[in-house]
Order: sequence, then C-alpha cells, then structure tokens
Amino acid sequence: MRDFLELSISAAASGCVYGLVALAYLLMIRPTGIINFAVGEWAMVAAFGGYLLLSKLEWPYPLGMAAVLGFMFLVGWATERIAVRPLVERGAPLLAPILALLGMLVVFREIVSVSFPPDPHPVPYPFGLGRLELGPVGGSYQSFFIIAVTLVVFLAVWLFFERTVAGKSFEAVAIHRRAAALMGINLSRVTALSFAGGAGAAGLAGLLVSPNISAHYLMGVPLAIQGFTALVIGGVGRVEGALLGGLLLAFAEQMTTRYAPIPSGYAQGVPLLLLMIFLLLRPTGLLRSRVAKA
Amino acid sequence: MRSGAALLEVQRLTKRFGGLTAVAGLDFTLGGGEILGLIGPNGAGKTTTFNAIAGTFGADEGEIRFAGEPILGLAPHQIAARGIMRTFQHNRPFAGMPVIENVLVGAHRRFSTSLWSVLAGGGRREEAELRRRAQQLVEFVGLGELLEADVSTLSFGQGRLLEIARALAGEPRLILFDEPAAGLTPAELERLGGIIRGIAARGIAVLVIEHDMRFLLPLASRVVVLNFGAKIAEGTPEAVRADPAVLNAYLGEPRNA
Amino acid sequence: MSALRWLAAFAVLAALPFFLGSYYNDVYRKLLLWITLALGYNFLFGICGQIAFSHFAFYGVGAYSIVIFLFQLELPFPLAILLGVALCALVALAVAIPSTRLEGFYLALATLALAQLFIVVLNEGGAVTGGTGGLANYRLPEVFGVRIAGPWYTVVIVTLLLGTLAVLLRLDRSWFGRACRAVRDNPQAAAAMGVDVARTKVVAFTLTSALAGIAGMVYAFVDNTVNPPIFGLDNAFLILFMVIVGGAGRHAGAVVGAILLFLLPFFLSPLIGHHHVLVFGLLVVAAMLVQPRGLIGIYDALRRRLA
Repeated sequence: MRDFLELSISAAASGCVYGLVALAYLLMIRPTGIINFAVGEWAMVAAFGGYLLLSKLEWPYPLGMAAVLGFMFLVGWATERIAVRPLVERGAPLLAPILALLGMLVVFREIVSVSFPPDPHPVPYPFGLGRLELGPVGGSYQSFFIIAVTLVVFLAVWLFFERTVAGKSFEAVAIHRRAAALMGINLSRVTALSFAGGAGAAGLAGLLVSPNISAHYLMGVPLAIQGFTALVIGGVGRVEGALLGGLLLAFAEQMTTRYAPIPSGYAQGVPLLLLMIFLLLRPTGLLRSRVAKA
Repeated sequence: MRSGAALLEVQRLTKRFGGLTAVAGLDFTLGGGEILGLIGPNGAGKTTTFNAIAGTFGADEGEIRFAGEPILGLAPHQIAARGIMRTFQHNRPFAGMPVIENVLVGAHRRFSTSLWSVLAGGGRREEAELRRRAQQLVEFVGLGELLEADVSTLSFGQGRLLEIARALAGEPRLILFDEPAAGLTPAELERLGGIIRGIAARGIAVLVIEHDMRFLLPLASRVVVLNFGAKIAEGTPEAVRADPAVLNAYLGEPRNA
Repeated sequence: MSALRWLAAFAVLAALPFFLGSYYNDVYRKLLLWITLALGYNFLFGICGQIAFSHFAFYGVGAYSIVIFLFQLELPFPLAILLGVALCALVALAVAIPSTRLEGFYLALATLALAQLFIVVLNEGGAVTGGTGGLANYRLPEVFGVRIAGPWYTVVIVTLLLGTLAVLLRLDRSWFGRACRAVRDNPQAAAAMGVDVARTKVVAFTLTSALAGIAGMVYAFVDNTVNPPIFGLDNAFLILFMVIVGGAGRHAGAVVGAILLFLLPFFLSPLIGHHHVLVFGLLVVAAMLVQPRGLIGIYDALRRRLA
C-alpha cells in the first residue's frame, strides 16, 4: 500500500508534466485549430535554458526560472509571427501552418543539437533531492514542487478563461473566428498570446521534468507524444481535461510498469497504445466540452 | 414537360435540432421535367429540407422516396449514386484541379471500370468518352473557353456555372440547387435561368431553394412556400404570389412578394 | 508514358550500376529506394491529402517479414513474398479503416503512434526481431539456381521503382486518382459528387502502405541487415519533407525532392556535419511560406512566365 502511495505521488508529478504539455497544445488549438507538434522541442529548449542559467551560470532558481519562461514566451510569439501568421493571413489551409511547424520542430532540435554536446545536461533541483513525508504519502521534493506549480498554473489558466474578459475572447475565437473578429476581437493578438502561452506552458513542463531526466536534445518528441495523448484522453474542450488526461496517462504508464507482468520495454508502448485507442474510439476525449460547437 | 409518376416524394418530413423544430410534417412531390421552387423567409426550413434530401443528415420522422426507393438517412455519396446531384450555395470547387477535372469528378458515378482493371491499364475508352461529355457540359454552361483553367481564376459567377456543370456531369435525374442566384449579376442571372430551363427540358427534375423571388417565380413551374417549418402554400407562382398566407409571412419584405 | 519511354528509362537506369564502383552503387540503390518511397508517399499525402507517419513502419514490416519468413520460418521464397505483401496490406487495412474517420492531423498522430509502437515491438522482439540490434547475416536466396547480387540486384530495385511509378501513374490518371484529389481538396463536395470518401482514403492508405512494404522487402537484401532505427520517426519526417520540398501532388515533385534531400547531406556534411536536417526544416518552412507547390511549383511558374 505504501508502495502504491509512493508511486502515486511520482505518477501524479509525471501526470502534471504531461498535463502542462497538453495545456500547451490546448492553448494553441482552441483559437486557431493548429496542432503544434513542436511543443516537445519547446520543452527541450527550456530544459537547456535551465541547464545554462541554473547549472552553468548558477543563477538563483526563481530568477533562472523566470528568465527561461520569459524567453519561452518570446520564442512562442516569434514562432507564431514567422511560421503561422503569414499563412493564416494569406488564408492558407490549416495544414500549411501545421507542416511549417513540423519544419520548425526540426529547426529547434537541430539548433540545440548544434549548440551543445550530445550528452545529457544536468538541470538542478530547486529544493534539492530530499523527501517530504505528508502522513502516509511520501515523495521527493521535486514531485511535490511539480504538483504544486502545475496546480497553480492550471488554476490561473482556468480563472483566466472563466472569469476574465480576455479569456472569454479566447473562447469566442475558438467557437467562431469570423464572428469574433466581427465583434472587434483582435485575432492576431489572441493568436500571438496563445502561442506565447503555449510556449510558456511547454517550457515550464521542460523545466520541471529536466532535473529528473536531464536536458537532452532527443527529449522533445516523446514528450510531445505523451502530451498529445494526454490531450486526446482529456479532451480539447476544457482546460481541466488536459490535467486529467495527463494524470490518467501517467498513472496508466507507471502502474503498468510496476505491476504488469510484461517486459519493461513494452511500457513505452502504453502512451502509444492509449493514444491510438482514444484517437480511434473516442477522439473527443473523456470530458465533454461545456459549450456546444457552432 | 412533365413525366408521369412523381420522381421525388417527401412525406411528413420532420426534423428537430434540440428544442427547435426546423421542419414539421412537410409533404410535397416533384416529377421529371418540373422546376419546383422551395421558398420561405429565413429560418423557414428550406435548407433543412434540402439537406435531408441531399443526405447531409437524416430526419426524426417522415419519408423521402426517390423513384419509389426510400432515401432518407442515406449518406451523401449514396444519394449521388442514385442520381441525385446538388450544387452548393457557397461554391465548393476542387481547388487543386482545372475546370474540366472538377466536372469529371461530378461524373464519378458514371465510371464503371474497376480498380483492378485500372491497374491493368484498362478504362481508357471510358475515360475519353466521359471526358468528351464533360467538355460538352462545360460548353453548355458557357465556360467552354476555360476548360483547363485554374479554378482560382474563375469569377464568382463562373464558379457557380462550374458547380452546375459538375452536378450535371453525374447525369442526374434530380438536381438540387442551393440558392443558385445568390451573388450573381443580372446578366449572369439571365444565363442561369436559361440553363435551368434547359436542364428541365431534358426531363431532369429540378428543385430550387431560393430567396430571390424575381428570379424564381418566372422560372418555377410550381412553388412550395414554407414558414416556421411548415408548408403554408403550394401552387403555381401566380397563385402563390397572391396567397394571403404567403404575403403575411413575407410582411416586411414587400419587394420580394 | 509510351512503352518506348519506359523501356528507355529502364535501360538507362538499369545500365548505370554496371559502371559504378561498389560505393556509388550502394548510394545509387539507396537513392532509388528513397525515390520509390517518396512516390508512394506523395500519392497518399500529395494526391489524397492524408498525412501519415507510418510509411516507414510499413517499409519495416515488409523488410522484417521477408527476413523472418525466409530465414526463421523457412518458407519458400514465393510464399514468403506473398505473405509479406499480405501482412502489410492487412496491417494497413486494420489501421486505415478506423483511422479514416479521423480528420487531418489526427490521422497523422495515430500513424505516428503506430510507427513508434512498431519500433517498440522491434526492440522488444527478442530472438524473432533481433531486438535493438536487428537481424543480419542472411543473403538473398537463389532464384532458379541463380544468385542475384551486385549490379544485378540494383536492376531489381530499378524494376521496383518503375513498377511503383507505373502503378501510381495508372491510378492517378483514372477516376480513382481524381477521387483522391477531390477528397484532398474538398471532402464534402467529393461526397456530394458520389465519392465514397472513407473508402477512397482506406484504399489509398492500404495501397501505398503495401507498396512501401514491397519496397521494404527489396531493401532487406540491400545491406543484408535490418535494424530498428531505419524505420523510425526520423525517416518518416524526412520522407514528408522530401515530398513537400519537391512539390506535393506531383510525381516529378516526389522524385526531385527525394533526389535533392538525399544528396544534399553529401554536399553539406563538410559544412554542418550531421545537422543537415536543420536545412531540411528550414526548406520546409520556406516552402510553406513562399511556394507551397515546392520546387516543381517554382519550375512551373518559371515556365509559365517564359512562355
């Protein structure tokens, strides 16, 4: 039982990371319909940023974290400006920016790969390697940190969409682009913000997960897949779905690895199988969108 | 020119969207060579009826029969396979193909060569023959000079003509026009009227949904008027034009009545 | 293309390996295989409008299955070939039938997951797949007492390429190719014209995946080794990039893109080592922004302007 609770904490932490990546997708998909598979590479860029600022230059953690996230907002905005906006303004089919972003995915990965040696690069833990015991549950400081940060972020995003006018304008664009534009909502700004936010969420995921797995230029695609699986499980309609999907995925992964009588290598297949199953059987995810699509 | 039995029979058609009843208990028939106009104010249920016939969705109650066979609830491609073709209100050309190829897609159901034959190199005579017929259709609608043109170079009116040629390529027995007059200049409207008359003259049944009364009333042989999902009048254009129920429904739109 | 042109093309392409040393012969063979794969992928992506990342997985299914059928199950050669093709077609159908209900990039993601799953299965396959090291130490069996090797095997690859091209050209120029394009350009209008959209997608996916599988079977005897990394996502991305840069929707585009992106690393490696993929990524972004019809599109535009 203790073992199970222990596993739950680490699974919850993984789930939060996946949820953040799923959130990144969601922030960009909702107003634009664009699936930006480069979120994994964004997470990687942030992880390397963490290595640079926190390990190499040894900045204090809050400062380093803020700087990396700020940089990621910029990266997201720039990506939108370069690879997305010209196409959307031209009226290109939805496929065009998606493909352009695939090109950008490769560009990001190679830029990092050129700039750093190929070995994994360590990123420090903000609270060190210690453990925290909360009654029957125990886990690493990092796990609790990840869970705490994620909950704060999701709460903030949820409040943004539910309670603020700016957030409602996002929803409006998601439901009907043209109508939203006619009502005076600035589509370019919404799109730019959504990409900046998406990069921020993905970057945060990368920063949070990298102390455990180290920054490595190949870490992007697996994260992108896991994040997308979380999104598909939870459903694109609601912010909470991203977190729910992430948690479900992480639990399925870790429970299978720990308790299922199959060779450990096959555990990698869990997110992939889940993705295929959900895509084929329930592509809208588990949570229903609260607003009926027009 | 009117053929014998009704080709299209709509009976007790009822369609609800959530709490809203878009169409309720609609009955009408249509025969070959007839031009039937389906008119009514916005929200009257014309588009819903159109879509139920075209296979975009099914209905909650009622039946639709085509040449005696039930077709309600069939998928759009199955509807087309039976000889019912349609145009789209907002032109939907195939952007990656020239005009003639667009029209040839309309002829899809006329191709009988199996995939295996294709792989073995067959089907060329059929291809040539159907291409010849498609070319004739392109000329019939007046786009003869633009056979190989990129569809992005077509004007709105020309795009509309392409829609029609494409629908005709399927050699339909029933053709459904979704607001064909929308967005056309007076000259284009005149040509459109001539084309529709020519289609009916060939014995094809024609169903037209339209807002533009000045265009439709001289053209249709018969008119069905809808309001709030129900039929409020049916008859010749002259009879309908004077019908008090119709005038009442269109109150506030005196120019169109 | 007339029979004479096909014969001439075959003669030229098949004669070439006899004048090349073994190193260049190997490069030539790989190039031919990439062109074959690009042609098939172009049909699925460029003509039918379906993005899939499973093309190399089927290449792998073909390659691994012929080796397993021949050398582990010890089946006779013709049977092994037939079973390999059948297996590819069956797996393709199993994936295609539910996936074609998915729109756009969702199919891409499902096939991406499939491709990754395939790699996992290969890596964990133990003795059957040879695990992470793959399978090696086998040779093409004798056919009627003759062992086809060296430049003669390259002729086999040329035949594969031209055969694939012939099949795709015939399909493209028929009602089926037109239906595929209609599905690509406007699925709703296509359905209204009588095209069974789901069936068209399934057939296109199954056919092109089976063709990739056949190419895989030929590939198995090029290096006489098969291992997992070749069939992974990196190459799946690469084939997509080749088709985009060359010009999606045009057979010539697939050929041009494959040749360019295959040969470019040889010229770029003194400059940027292994990071030629960076250039590919930039080329794809450039293609999307400047000329989505790819290099063939640029060529067409130039020809129009000069005419």
